[in-house]
Amino acid sequence: MPTDSRRLTGPEETKSPYAYVKQKKKLQVLTGKRHDGRSPETLRPIFLKADVVSQARGSAYIEQDNTKVMCAVYGPREVGRKEDFSMKGIINCVFKYATFSCRYRRSYQQDSEEKDMSVQLLDALEPAVCMHKFPKAQVDIYVTVLQNDGSALAAAITCASVALANAGVDMYDLVAGCSVRIADNLVLVDPTESEEYKSQDDNPVNHGSVTLGYMPSLYQVSAITSKGEIEFEVIKKAINLCGNTSQTLYPVLQKCLNNSRFSLSLRFSLSLVRYHFCVQF
Amino acid sequence: MVDVQLSDAEKVFILHGVQDNCREDGRGCEDYRHLEIETSVMSNTNGSARVRLANTDILVGVKAELGTPSPEKLNKGRIEFFVDCSANATPEFEGRGGEDLATDISNMLYRAYDCPNCFDLQQLCVIPDQQCWILYVDILLLECGGNLFDATSLAVKAALFNTSIPTVTVTKDEGVVDLEISDDPYDVQRLDMKSSPCIVTLSKVGHSHVVDASQKEECCTLARLIMGVTEKGTITALKKEGSGSLDPTSIEDMMETGRRVGESLNKCLMDALAEEERQGTKKKSLGFLR
Repeated sequence: MPTDSRRLTGPEETKSPYAYVKQKKKLQVLTGKRHDGRSPETLRPIFLKADVVSQARGSAYIEQDNTKVMCAVYGPREVGRKEDFSMKGIINCVFKYATFSCRYRRSYQQDSEEKDMSVQLLDALEPAVCMHKFPKAQVDIYVTVLQNDGSALAAAITCASVALANAGVDMYDLVAGCSVRIADNLVLVDPTESEEYKSQDDNPVNHGSVTLGYMPSLYQVSAITSKGEIEFEVIKKAINLCGNTSQTLYPVLQKCLNNSRFSLSLRFSLSLVRYHFCVQF
Repeated sequence: MVDVQLSDAEKVFILHGVQDNCREDGRGCEDYRHLEIETSVMSNTNGSARVRLANTDILVGVKAELGTPSPEKLNKGRIEFFVDCSANATPEFEGRGGEDLATDISNMLYRAYDCPNCFDLQQLCVIPDQQCWILYVDILLLECGGNLFDATSLAVKAALFNTSIPTVTVTKDEGVVDLEISDDPYDVQRLDMKSSPCIVTLSKVGHSHVVDASQKEECCTLARLIMGVTEKGTITALKKEGSGSLDPTSIEDMMETGRRVGESLNKCLMDALAEEERQGTKKKSLGFLR
């Protein structure tokens, strides 16, 4: 995103009051009994809806309790830079937290964390998309986190894959995202913001988080990321748990797509034909 | 990244070689290429290192500056990574061409170093809540010959080993805090970086996986697993890269290999650095830097 010099950004030297709040003892939160009454292996209730942005080719909205993410897919369109010619399509991913979505205010421009998330999201989606089906063209995926209460990347992966399917982009499989928080021998599925791993509170070994993008009908992992220092055996267990949990999400994704208004894959193909037609003449 | 054109026949050749644990340059699947490490190569830095891994050439300079700590980490310093893809390495990096690769590498490094046990940021604190050291780790890619992530992390670890920060004396005079920074080049503090991680990249080629993939092998791989491994074998960061997907069992295998290789890589690096330090001023310089 280019810098907008005209935008009034407010005083440069402001600090969020939360930085000065005395922290509750972190480890209190991380017990087998979670503050919202879930068991360690339970996901939060999910609301998933496709077709929420009328002008986008495809879109989706996901709610995992207080984590709210929306995604819109545009394209196919001409590749911006001329030198990037390839017989495979190009996916462009932009992940952005809304400025008010987190505890701390985010800036308008993508920070390095958001850029990293965009790359991870792209890595998660690319294996699932038939890239050879739209040569010389680009598909844009915009993900906005409206409210962040933990596991935003996992929600974004799920949401973006549904939006892609809703756009009628040819795919090998959907991608379901799932994240876990590792706290010693405890593994908490779908952590909330207070349960999430933060590097600033001095965590010992075996504290961290793992996020997985899983293709449920191909049994393949399309993305994996971790944070924090974790032993091999523990991370292995966490990955397996993530995979199994993502599998349970699959029916939810399918049902959502069945309910969406346009479930025609024709829509994308038609626009692709139109695009190539325009390029030719 | 730098493009190498490979025909299908060449790709099949590499693939079959990897299957039989004999790669195009005669290595086994878990072998690294020849590695050269040299520290304190730049006089204007607090610490520097140059790593040459076959054709990959990386120069790292660490500079320490005083600054204010960020509000969520008041008793800690900061470490920041900047990667610069020089157009010397490949014309594709000219202008903003190398930016994506640079952010990829710096984000991975940042994540790998982002846990309190692998790099203690409290040692960078000068006055809690007010002053701390900020380490700027600047990484310059001089030549790209594959496996940039691993080579960069090795160079960063070597440069941090070499880094010395001037001793600061804090005096309080009637409530006015005064900082005095020693200008004696021998009155310095070394950093504790023994447990900082190395990055190991595992590239899936066919049904097997290899470490330290050359540029040609990187062409044949669809998915890579990049992991930060400490000397104890714990995993500090994990990332899958590339357009392919991976089977859960093969991820397990790759992680197992990565951990094994990472442990010995850390050990070898620390041994080499200790050896270099023992040689002191008598060491011969290896690279073109004099």
